[in-house]
Amino acid sequence: MNRASRLEGFGFIAPLLVLMVVAFNAPIVYMLGLAFWEKGRGFTLEHYEGLLEAPVYLRVLGNTMRIALIATIANIIIGYPLAHWMRGLGSRGRMIALALVVLPFWVSILVRTYAWIVVLGNGGIVNRALQWSGLTDAPVSFLYNELGVTIGMANVLLPFLVLPLFAAMIRIDDRLLQAAASLGAPPRTIFWKVYFPLTLPALAAGALLVFILCLGFYVTPAILGGGRVPMISNLLDTLINQIPRWEQASAISTILLIVTLVIFAAYRRLDRKASGT
Amino acid sequence: MKRRTFVGAATALPAVSLLGAGSARAQVKEIRMIESGGKSGESIEVGYIEPFTKKTGIKVIRESPNSLGKLRALVESGQTSTVLMELGSGTLVQAKNLKLIEPIDWAAVNPAAMFPEAKNEYGFGYQYFSTIMAWRAGAKAPKNWAEFFDTKAFPGKRCLPDFPHYSLPFAVMATGVPADKLFPLDVETGFKKLNEIKKDIAVWWKAGAQPPQLMKDNEVQYVICWSGRVVGDPAFGYNFAGGMADLAYFSIVKGSKPEDRAAAYKLMYEMSLPANQAKAATVISYTGPSPELDALLPKDKLSDFPSSKQNKSVQWFQNAEWWAANGEAVNKKWEAFKLGL
Repeated sequence: MNRASRLEGFGFIAPLLVLMVVAFNAPIVYMLGLAFWEKGRGFTLEHYEGLLEAPVYLRVLGNTMRIALIATIANIIIGYPLAHWMRGLGSRGRMIALALVVLPFWVSILVRTYAWIVVLGNGGIVNRALQWSGLTDAPVSFLYNELGVTIGMANVLLPFLVLPLFAAMIRIDDRLLQAAASLGAPPRTIFWKVYFPLTLPALAAGALLVFILCLGFYVTPAILGGGRVPMISNLLDTLINQIPRWEQASAISTILLIVTLVIFAAYRRLDRKASGT
Repeated sequence: MKRRTFVGAATALPAVSLLGAGSARAQVKEIRMIESGGKSGESIEVGYIEPFTKKTGIKVIRESPNSLGKLRALVESGQTSTVLMELGSGTLVQAKNLKLIEPIDWAAVNPAAMFPEAKNEYGFGYQYFSTIMAWRAGAKAPKNWAEFFDTKAFPGKRCLPDFPHYSLPFAVMATGVPADKLFPLDVETGFKKLNEIKKDIAVWWKAGAQPPQLMKDNEVQYVICWSGRVVGDPAFGYNFAGGMADLAYFSIVKGSKPEDRAAAYKLMYEMSLPANQAKAATVISYTGPSPELDALLPKDKLSDFPSSKQNKSVQWFQNAEWWAANGEAVNKKWEAFKLGL
């Protein structure tokens, strides 16, 4: 591609670029700057010092990461076998299974989250079934704790893991697996030596996407956490809307952004290594 | 616009301005307010906006929700279209300290008789509401806060507000501190009491609709919640004793237009009339600031209302000044406490 045609291409994306800069990048820079600049006082690091003096906000951030990690692992445990099973279906079965995975996207996240209350509440379907069958005497607390938040988040985010994973799995050439079998490898070896490594980049990408989305979750912890599972978005809501200390919120958001970028960079490194070998 | 009509309009302009300020005010076609929404917003519409629009021809556009962050964004972005903002007693003091609202010209409002606490320099106290104890019908009824916090004698899951200024004072009262000695609030004692029963607190609510719903679902049996959400419903028991009375205010947004303010003061006047307040109270069981209101309310419903004589006398008033000075520090402790749940 020569220089002139590259410039021509730029003309086509310029409107989008302007929109992104004006509507997205500029506000983010302004938001990040809030923590450093105060009207009439100039540069300040006070809001970051505040974070160090009262580490409770950083602990909430740590708690958020922990829950995001748990939800991501739960997603992998459910999502990987699901995607693998879908690969083995016929074309019609795949279509139905895909539709079922994507279906929740069409339902509002609020509705999906509230639905869990009907299913998992003290008087919900699961608890009534458990008590009716005599497995438990008292209702099991599925909700208003970390378990409830994890279930809700895993449910909402499952398609983000399953779709890229499924796309990678159906691209795997069956002949590779057959070749391994013809050389005498038992199914377990075929899976771990051939199949799994081929799905690893997509698994890592999907898991990372889920993890990053988890960090910003607001609705699910607010409803299913019962206020007992402090997460960073809910804390930011308090700081922005109630107190309102935008400067403090900006400092926390900056740290969250940096942590996310570091994780993303680590992933890119891993990914490049994986595709290089 | 065609050129000719533009010229016509331009020549008409000086004539209009000659008529003076009075007609400029008459030109206001609508004003905008930010209020807390839901049934409370409907009660404003029925009780105050309808008679106001009938008299003046000015429409009122309502928006919600009314977070303090929104007010800060309005003022800092320099917008002038919204004139009225609903605030709680605590957020009123915060907004005043942050210079987001301006004093009310009470002479221009010229209100009917009002309870003194409702006539704030920066806010028109338009609606009394209470934070009280309530329970699922059939649960053993506690008589005071010590009993409410006694999870052995009164077994059942609790649901408390996820706001320190609505939860901590009651925890302190449960240790035996009388209402008139509550402030300055002994925060440590409050947290200690909450820590004692934290296993029995199933949900910390953020939205006022949560506690009644959770009681109906039998997820929790005892709650601290806003009175308007539970009174009059046979599914719940409730007790105003030891409850916290509070006021919601309307304030003038900083930088709003003078002609909008003039209209807003007329709307405030409508809010001060007991007949309008009685109408608003048919929509929601929160009450306006007129001392004469009791006489206009249905006798059998008086026990539902936060400011009726029988209920007002057994409650205490939120100390907004103390929370404005200490709220942020307590909030940090609150987050730390929640991490330890």
